[in-house]
Amino acid sequence: MNRNTDHSGAASYGASLMFDVNTAAGAVASAGPSASSPLALRADGVQMRYGGTMALKGVSLEAKAGNIHALIGENGAGKSTFLGVIAGRVVPSAGNVSIFGQPHVFGQPRQARRLGITAIYQELTIVPRLSAVANVFLGQPISRSGMLDEKSMRRDFDTLCERLDVRIRPDVLAGTLSVADQQMLEIMRGIQSEARLLLFDEPTTSLAPPEREALFKIMRQLKDHGTTMMFVSHNLEEVLDISDTVTVFRDGSLSASGDRSDWDKPSLIRAMVGHDVVENRRVERPPVPAGMPFLLQADKVTVPGAIENVSITLKRGEILGIGGLVGSGRTSLLRALAGLEPRSTGTLVINGEACPWPNDPRRALGAGIALVPEDRKAQGLVLGMRAMDNVVMADMKQVSRMGFLSNTMIREKSRKIAREFGYPETRLETIVRHLSGGNQQKVLLGKVRFCSPSILLVDEPTRGIDIGAKDEIMNTLRALADEGVGIIVVSSDLEEVIAISDRIVVMSEGQAVAELDQSRSTVAVGDILHAAFRVH
Amino acid sequence: MNAQNSAINVSTTPKEMRFFSRDVMLQYGVLWAFLLLLIVSAFLYPRVFELQNIQNILSQSAPVGIVAVGMTFVIIGGGFDLSVAAIFALGAVVFANRADVFGLWGAAAAVVTVSAICGIINGLIVTRLKVNAFVATLGSGSVFGGLAYIYSNSAPQVPNDFNFGDLGTGSWFGWPISIWMLFITFAVGAAILSRSVYGRSIYALGGNEEAARLSGIPVDLYRASTYVLTAICSGVGGMILSSRLGVGQADMGGSLALDAIAIVVIGGTSLLGGEGALWRTAVGLLIIATLTNVFDSLAINTNYQLVAKGLIVIAAVALDIYARKMRT
Repeated sequence: MNRNTDHSGAASYGASLMFDVNTAAGAVASAGPSASSPLALRADGVQMRYGGTMALKGVSLEAKAGNIHALIGENGAGKSTFLGVIAGRVVPSAGNVSIFGQPHVFGQPRQARRLGITAIYQELTIVPRLSAVANVFLGQPISRSGMLDEKSMRRDFDTLCERLDVRIRPDVLAGTLSVADQQMLEIMRGIQSEARLLLFDEPTTSLAPPEREALFKIMRQLKDHGTTMMFVSHNLEEVLDISDTVTVFRDGSLSASGDRSDWDKPSLIRAMVGHDVVENRRVERPPVPAGMPFLLQADKVTVPGAIENVSITLKRGEILGIGGLVGSGRTSLLRALAGLEPRSTGTLVINGEACPWPNDPRRALGAGIALVPEDRKAQGLVLGMRAMDNVVMADMKQVSRMGFLSNTMIREKSRKIAREFGYPETRLETIVRHLSGGNQQKVLLGKVRFCSPSILLVDEPTRGIDIGAKDEIMNTLRALADEGVGIIVVSSDLEEVIAISDRIVVMSEGQAVAELDQSRSTVAVGDILHAAFRVH
Repeated sequence: MNAQNSAINVSTTPKEMRFFSRDVMLQYGVLWAFLLLLIVSAFLYPRVFELQNIQNILSQSAPVGIVAVGMTFVIIGGGFDLSVAAIFALGAVVFANRADVFGLWGAAAAVVTVSAICGIINGLIVTRLKVNAFVATLGSGSVFGGLAYIYSNSAPQVPNDFNFGDLGTGSWFGWPISIWMLFITFAVGAAILSRSVYGRSIYALGGNEEAARLSGIPVDLYRASTYVLTAICSGVGGMILSSRLGVGQADMGGSLALDAIAIVVIGGTSLLGGEGALWRTAVGLLIIATLTNVFDSLAINTNYQLVAKGLIVIAAVALDIYARKMRT
């Protein structure tokens, strides 16, 4: 693999031609516009400056038409920004991009669409009060003489559902769907626009394995029809599984780029971080003593329409994983325990004492239960505030005297939390909106940690986060458990659930269907899926 | 989108302290605009800086300024209050009507009680009935305004108490009492908003209600409390005006709601909630007050003043949005 460390726009162009090139040095001639297969995209010295930082330091690359092209890199490496430039959403500070030979107009998504580009974003762009059909056809409805042609749209919607193997009712309000289903709508919207160049920003983060498979099947179909695709991902397996070309970003520059056949998992990771990392593996923890009394006993937890009569137990210092597919009720269970489901019912015993069922988050917090929500931007953080203000938010009593906040105390105490979570102390005064996903997640964990809960509920703790930060977060959770905090983890990444849990409860269709103990032998992903699909 | 910096950042890092850096220029754009206005005013109306004139400007704008303090709380909390004009009028009428019966202090207590009840009603409509704040206060404003007319029989309330005018025209230590009231409201409001747990919770509420709820902040109670604060500010504002004019009338509110919102918005506090600051509202108030003062001194017809002020509100907000865009 070539390494491109050249940062200046024009000069890096030559070096970047290696994009289509194999590892042999000096093979530059085989790439370039004159190569046999036409170029879908050609970027030339693209720079992006946000305030004082350079998110892109002169990136040049080319993408062949009809290829599936993966962009990977750690958080903040610039891959999403680059995708944004191509999508026409972000206006670069310098550089040119041409799409199928035509110059790109920046900052005009509509113009980008005219060039045949459709982007599917990581942040959902669903209109919650519109129906599923209306969302799929947003901005490009089928109409006949100015009137909406509902019938045709519904027909196309059904066809799409069939192709993607999903079951979403056309009339259901998009806002009531799960995150995974909303993601599916987003993907359907991209597919039905019949774009020549489809951009995906982490399309699979909230999808369960079967849904991923369906998406990959569609991506391959589209490729056979000549569609060019470019996608950002943190999941190296899926990158290796589906892409033709892989480009690795590091610190705003191209780190390396090459054909799929040149890469394997270790080499990708090396290119991303610049050194070898041990892959995220299960860390053995001392087993929770059998005679230990229960910290939490939740019995017959029911959330109408989501889960029914689920009972779970948790001991001090234990990490309980909840396995299951998207829509199995995992998140509802956590939300009910955190007091976010007012219609939920059940009985709760904490440390052997019966507690009233939490019907609002204040009561749950009072009982020592804190939730790290799934959607850190929408539910977890106040994006306009500084990191340290977010950290102390759930327990401002600790940093105030007679109702007035002390900046010194906020700084001191949040610094302590930052150290614990491997969060850079210099970023404590940064507005959370400007932080990378990994750092935002650390702030969110720090915020929950700050109110010292005895029971921590964690929903998708590593969604959309790079490998380095993932490891740090996992280690912090283990350290908390070692201190005696009981932790319940929900994650779509089943390997992650296995890596961290002492015990796994598998949920399926709103019920707990199996309990797998890891104290003797490690559970395999297949075991969880078997239980989740009720295969016997 | 660094505007929040100014709102919540109490200390600034050394890098941001560079005086004429672009970020500082943009972040404090409203201050520069005010300075520019002062310079222009000095040419158009040389007496603008005389102590007498300054006191005049401030005491005239005390009522609307006090309302704007409450409005800042509501807007930062992600809400909106159109009923302030009606509560203001109700306060004026009740104060004038009760002054002879309860005495001045008793009448003042009655005003605070009545306006607090109005605020509680607004808060309940918004948090319990979940009616959109705009519609809720549009409706309740009509109700409160109607009650002011009914209570006063549509007649001017003129009390006989000789000291009725003290609040609006008297002075402490050489400065009008109304200016002291304005200063105190701003100072206490700013301390609460920027330094207290309650104030920080209001920012959190306006910035991300779900995150605030999950943090254990009693969101409904706090949201309702911002309406109560605003209502009390409005009642007190009405009291001051009726005292200055020596009469309480049900049509005293006028365009007060929009004026107060304009002051908050000109200062650079976002209508989206979660960001802004009281010093911004203070600058907004000074800008509007200075403009009125200069226009009046030049004997410009109030109709033209209305047109000019409307354009300035739009220009200020457009500039603010542009400045934010430049800074990201």
